Amino acid sequence: MKEKNILKFMVLFFWTFFWALSVLDKIIPDVNYLWVGKDFFALFVKFFGSLGLKNPIFPTLALAFVSSLEALNFIFYLLALIQFSKRKTELAQKWFFRGILTSVTLFGLFSIADQVFGDRFQLLEHGLFWLILIASWILYKYLSESDLAILSVKNKEVKVAILISIVLTSVASFSIIDFSQNTFSNTDSPVEGVEVVKDVYKFDFPFLADKRVWEKTINQFKIDYPELKINYIYTGPSELNSKKKTHLLLYVFTEKM
Amino acid sequence: MRIPFVDRNTATNQLIQFSILFYWSIFWFFNIVDKVIGGSMFLWVGRDRFAQFQKFFASAGLESPWIANLALIVAAGLEVFAFVFLLGALIYYVKKKTKSARSWFFIGVIFTLITFTIFSIGDHIFGDRFELLEHTLFWFLTLFSWVVFVRLYQKPENENLSLNKKQILLSGLLSIFLIVVTSSSILSYNKNYFYRRTDALDSEKVSENIFKVTFPFLGGSTVFEKTIERFNSAYPDKKINHIYTVPKPLRLKKADALIFYIITEDKR
Repeated sequence: MKEKNILKFMVLFFWTFFWALSVLDKIIPDVNYLWVGKDFFALFVKFFGSLGLKNPIFPTLALAFVSSLEALNFIFYLLALIQFSKRKTELAQKWFFRGILTSVTLFGLFSIADQVFGDRFQLLEHGLFWLILIASWILYKYLSESDLAILSVKNKEVKVAILISIVLTSVASFSIIDFSQNTFSNTDSPVEGVEVVKDVYKFDFPFLADKRVWEKTINQFKIDYPELKINYIYTGPSELNSKKKTHLLLYVFTEKM
Repeated sequence: MRIPFVDRNTATNQLIQFSILFYWSIFWFFNIVDKVIGGSMFLWVGRDRFAQFQKFFASAGLESPWIANLALIVAAGLEVFAFVFLLGALIYYVKKKTKSARSWFFIGVIFTLITFTIFSIGDHIFGDRFELLEHTLFWFLTLFSWVVFVRLYQKPENENLSLNKKQILLSGLLSIFLIVVTSSSILSYNKNYFYRRTDALDSEKVSENIFKVTFPFLGGSTVFEKTIERFNSAYPDKKINHIYTVPKPLRLKKADALIFYIITEDKR
């Protein structure tokens, strides 16, 4: 099989799924079973609200327009993928180009909006996607015009590589399962507090902990220290955390009853 | 000892190709190590991928740890396959078997692209737009690396990378001078200011029952705890009611680290 065909297929497959899931995200606006996605309607409402356009018709129309362009993108990439699978490479390239053009237009519009709404991080995000799309097109064209190398590896060597990979994957799998079994209880167990200052207790929440762990921790603390009254709970800001090591630091200020 | 790859007439193209293979081999190697270790330990912080996957799947209604385990094993498997083929490519490249190196690198690239494509699909499903950008960038870097790698085969150059003695001497002296200046500055800062990592801070009274604490950038949880302890000792008749952390938009860009106010009342 030609290397360039495999890579071109990977490029088309990536962007087809990218837009398919973007459209799906607009169709499923809320959190559902097996789908979290992003609430773009809320985001648009807040953006337009910040401009003084509080009427929901504005974000609704804007989102409908964006969704239409995304659907158009998806169709172009899907057609490119279908034509490519049928080995109609020229036609595939034409559809891919149409897809790139509409995608770049969409990210151009997003970037304008980011400037208007003053969201510099999203501007960077959309600018990068815009760049990757253009670069994807250049690479796709380069692959079309490049030499026709055919993938060739010796069977024996590949077998050895697969064997080594299976062994390493097994080692990683055992380690993952072991780690999961050892730490999964963190999703449901109260965290133990340490008195760091007189009547001030620190709770070092693990990454797996959520609101249920918080509730259990406070309840357990009240059981363990019935003589103490909780005055105040301070959530340690990120500056207090050693980078990445802890998910959340909580300080409970108490006094004796 | 003579290392096969290290050649006095090594072309820039070969060095870049070697760097590409080395980078991706190390990239996947450390990703696998991160999966094998799991959590944090001495000399390794890494990322708790199990917790991340567990939270992702739980947010989609799949709370069983086995779902997260399975997803993590699939991800680890793809990463291992990518690593093995990229390492193979690196070994062949060092042995100057360039055709085999190219084929092995190609298979490694395909595994890498598959991995980032699957991750991107996951990011859409779980609504993590930052990770989507991150994985799309890596997906593109992989593709770009392959094209650069192949392109560097096409125009072999045999440039002379050697510098003349005068240039070596001048750049060497300049480098040594800059290293000495930088190191002295770092050591001096460490000697004079490391106490900021551990020492308690004073609280500044800004109004009745409101005290301000301004953190240095080095400060962490130890400084916070010691500061509270010092405050309690300095004001034994005060009871802390609330601690207000100044939000980032109210701080001076970059110049201000953490600032918080201690709000108190008199003890009865």
